[in-house]
Amino acid sequence: MSREGGNQDLSETVPRLPGEMLITDKEVIYICPFNGPIKGRVYITNYRLYLRSLETDSALILDVPLGVISRIEKMGGASSRGENAYGLDITCKDLRNLRFALKQEGHSRRDMFESLMKYAFPLAHSLPLFAFLNEEKFNVDGWAVYNPVEEYRRQGLPNHHWRITFINKCYELCDTYPALLVVPYRTSDDDLRRVATFRSRNRIPVLSWIHPENKTVIVRCSQPLVGMSGKRNKDDEKYLDAIRETNRQISKLTIYDARPSVNAVANKATGGGYESDDAYHNAELSFLDIHNIHVMRESLKKVKDIVYPNVEESHWLSSLESTHWLEHIKLVLTGAIQVADKVSSGKSSVLVHCSDGWDRTSQLTSLAMLMLDSFYRTIEGFEILVQKEWISFGHKFASRIGHGDKNHADADRSPIFLQFIDCVWQMLKQFPTAFEFNERFLVTILDHLYSCRFGTFLFNCESARERQKVMERTVSLWSLTNSNKEKFKNPFYTKEINRVLYPVASMRHLELWVNYYIRWNPRIKQQQPNPVEQRYMELLALRDDYIKRLEDLQLANSAKLSAASSSPPNSSQMMSHLQTQF
Amino acid sequence: MEFSELIYTGRAQAELLRGGEAPRLRGTLCVTGHHLLLSPEPQSTPDLWLLLLRSVDSVEKRVAGDSGTITLRCKDLRVLQLDIEGVETTLDIARSIEALSSLESVITSFPFFYRPKGLRLGDAWHFHPPERYYKRVARETTAWRLSEVNQDFSLCPSYPRAVIVPRTVDDDALARCARFRQGGRFPVLSYHHAPTGTVLLRSSQPLAGPQKKRCAEDEELLAAVLACGPPGARGFIVDTRSAQAAKQARLTGGGTEAKAAYPGWRRLHRPLERGRPLQESFMRLVKACGDTEQSMDLWLSRLESCHWLAHVKEALTTACLAAQGMEREGACILVHGTEGTDNTLLVTSLAQLILDPLSRTMTGFQELVEREWIQAGHPFQLRCAHSAFSHTRPKHEAPTFLLFLDCVWQLSRQFPLSLEFGEGLLLTLFEHAYASSFGTFLCNSEKERCLCEVRTRTHSLWSALNQAKEQRKLRNPLYVLNPLTIWPSVEPQSLRLWQGMFLRWSRPPESSEVVWEKVWQIVAEGEKTEGAQPTASASA
Repeated sequence: MSREGGNQDLSETVPRLPGEMLITDKEVIYICPFNGPIKGRVYITNYRLYLRSLETDSALILDVPLGVISRIEKMGGASSRGENAYGLDITCKDLRNLRFALKQEGHSRRDMFESLMKYAFPLAHSLPLFAFLNEEKFNVDGWAVYNPVEEYRRQGLPNHHWRITFINKCYELCDTYPALLVVPYRTSDDDLRRVATFRSRNRIPVLSWIHPENKTVIVRCSQPLVGMSGKRNKDDEKYLDAIRETNRQISKLTIYDARPSVNAVANKATGGGYESDDAYHNAELSFLDIHNIHVMRESLKKVKDIVYPNVEESHWLSSLESTHWLEHIKLVLTGAIQVADKVSSGKSSVLVHCSDGWDRTSQLTSLAMLMLDSFYRTIEGFEILVQKEWISFGHKFASRIGHGDKNHADADRSPIFLQFIDCVWQMLKQFPTAFEFNERFLVTILDHLYSCRFGTFLFNCESARERQKVMERTVSLWSLTNSNKEKFKNPFYTKEINRVLYPVASMRHLELWVNYYIRWNPRIKQQQPNPVEQRYMELLALRDDYIKRLEDLQLANSAKLSAASSSPPNSSQMMSHLQTQF
Repeated sequence: MEFSELIYTGRAQAELLRGGEAPRLRGTLCVTGHHLLLSPEPQSTPDLWLLLLRSVDSVEKRVAGDSGTITLRCKDLRVLQLDIEGVETTLDIARSIEALSSLESVITSFPFFYRPKGLRLGDAWHFHPPERYYKRVARETTAWRLSEVNQDFSLCPSYPRAVIVPRTVDDDALARCARFRQGGRFPVLSYHHAPTGTVLLRSSQPLAGPQKKRCAEDEELLAAVLACGPPGARGFIVDTRSAQAAKQARLTGGGTEAKAAYPGWRRLHRPLERGRPLQESFMRLVKACGDTEQSMDLWLSRLESCHWLAHVKEALTTACLAAQGMEREGACILVHGTEGTDNTLLVTSLAQLILDPLSRTMTGFQELVEREWIQAGHPFQLRCAHSAFSHTRPKHEAPTFLLFLDCVWQLSRQFPLSLEFGEGLLLTLFEHAYASSFGTFLCNSEKERCLCEVRTRTHSLWSALNQAKEQRKLRNPLYVLNPLTIWPSVEPQSLRLWQGMFLRWSRPPESSEVVWEKVWQIVAEGEKTEGAQPTASASA
């Protein structure tokens, strides 16, 4: 039952999840951009669009969760001439388009169009997202993966300098923050309330991560409400100093403002801004030049233009350059490296913010934590990192992805989380033994970022999720990944504690993630599963087999020896000796 | 020793900077006839640092105050810096290095003096004679014979003594064919593709000239090739020049096969860059890779403007075309350009790697390099006289062999299990093609190698590589025999810059080598455990 794909009792071989219902099916022509028109039957359920080829020489199957759809357009009208001119054009969030041609007679596309509109964009029809209908059962509960108290305890918190506060228990201090926050021990809850008035959307500086040895910290927040008049707030200034003083050796607190400095200045006009030198004597501010969500959205659009449906051929590298996608990746990684370096060298604690502190800030803190803390490089550790720095701290997944919402041109949509996963992939590539998970794990996360099959990425913040009882009413993506762990494991993983990873963020060493961005194009070679991993697994299995046979032999030997000799060697000792050898 | 007059100062106090994370070395610098040595001061590392002078590509000197700096750019793309005490000494040493690194005489080069322990002279030279490959062909078909018509190199100075030709064509006919082909390179067998019974041939251009001369024996030879092939076989002539360039070659006595004269054969033009433009592309790429100043945001367009990856793409595409003809269309393929010693070999050798699983083994690949590059007369000495840093205007230099290695690397990236060797072997071959202690890549042809007695007086690189201690570095631990044809994707998105080559000395901290090392450990452990079993039972 927990198998991906679910039951298969519906109309021969159309996969169906528990809770999934067939809505309609129809004969259509799928206009494949690579192999031309293919006749097939399309099945639309409340979860997916499934197409099976009806042609004998093609085994084509399309299996697309409706959550992936961002836009459905009718192409051609009843009077359109030309072959396959009448039908539907579907734009997907995962960098592809699907085109279907239908018969012109009798408004044949109408019910397909209406079913798709209804179930791909349930919010406009007051219908629930599929995650609330999904009745899948898994043998592990992904919601149990992240427990903030446990995670802070793992980091050694609370301690003499940091305390856990429940001031936001009912989200009354900040409705986009989690209920549990870690703040300096000396600062009272009343102080925190006053600081909140000076930070955009009340997102006060709180601890994300503490270095286990030198005790420097990464702290995150939103921009200060400085405004045109250059307002100051004594409580905020005192609070930042209190953060600095949690570590006595340090004379300056480093503030990384993720934005380009011009943008930070421009934000003053709308009441925001940045920490000025005169107000914050013991802080040092630098800008990291990372652009805003609109720039990133346009950049990804350009990437799609050069990879789908046709891959740019003649000037591939300069076209890729003109999308600026890798340049943005470079800036995000460079920023995270600076944060990680400050903290790991013990030079200074770091405060990170952008405007609201839920996009670029999440990218920077989570990537820096990934570089600093090997725990986050395990499968569960990574899930905790995403759960903590992204989901609980209010990255607006609902707005950025537009779950179930038909407004495809919404200016709030942006591939910020995708960009983060891309950065993680770049690190995976540069450190092939440092991560417990593999590329497929990352692709799976991205697929379910859009699918709406799991509750994990729904809604904008913890308070909204609590109101909707997401944890009770939906399944977590981590239930799927953690009950299939073998599939997502990197066989080359070598556990190393306390190793800080500094990826090379030079353009020479960054690559376009072809296996993700160009995966729909059959002409671009991609090997799934990765044959190197596959072969390595075989070798590992072979070795395990040898070890087992050797152990059996040794056991048999020691049994014989113990029968023959008066001082038998302890077989368990022998075993442990063996263990260390491998 | 005859080099002594070129050594102006033999000794100096110096400090060596090797870039990257290698520690600085300080000690006594020594110039000998073939090497630059640095013996570190006692307290630092005890190892002697040694550089073959032949591997220096360019020397740059600067003096300031009472010391100087020499920057050595090596043919393997390394950049070294020597800080030397004394202005005169610096200039003398720079002069010595310049003179000694560019000596042209083959028989005074280091391979003639190199006598490594554990190897015997002449050992590996018999590994890959033409006869060996003929034996394989003879097992597959009887239509071909080994001809010794070139026994004394008189017919074709750049061919080996023995070549494989259609059984029905006699030596006299071959002699006349040779007169009709540039440099005497008449069509010979490069590879017999047993699954389809088709063949791959190579030659140089026909000497048609402005009068469109013909040669009956040449026409008969190609007709005989089709007769040896599968029934009704067609033939494709893959010309590595553009139609325009091929036509123009007539004015200087060359040209192409006239359509009417070769029934059953069709000509295809697939222009591949060669000579100067290729060398310049290589130089631009190396410069771009080593340029730390340039704004990195323009890296991709700069990489593109080097055109190197475009050359990789063209080479692979043409090789695929040849392979496709043989595998899918049952056609025989003849490849040639002008001389047939550069791009021709690039295409025939790559096509074999794509088609032939045996050429993807360790031995098979060495045999391929020996047969299709060294014995086939790729002029290594001329092409590899200088690498990417030389200030002298390129004359005959061209990185065709490096381009081949890059294409092989692209194959290995796309088919990570199908090649028995790894990046290590490719890097080693690159290094030794440009500067080596072994004789394997010396001279331009078999004839020259015979005259210089390379085989009896130098050691072969192959025997050095095939020693057990080298295997870990060279072999692909994940290799599994793949009996299929490996069709590479040649889309620009599928081709990568070969970082292991071009960014070798400034690589990211961790790379595929780490993974390789891990796999080796697993393989070794597996073997050890397997080996341990009999002992365990014996002790019972």
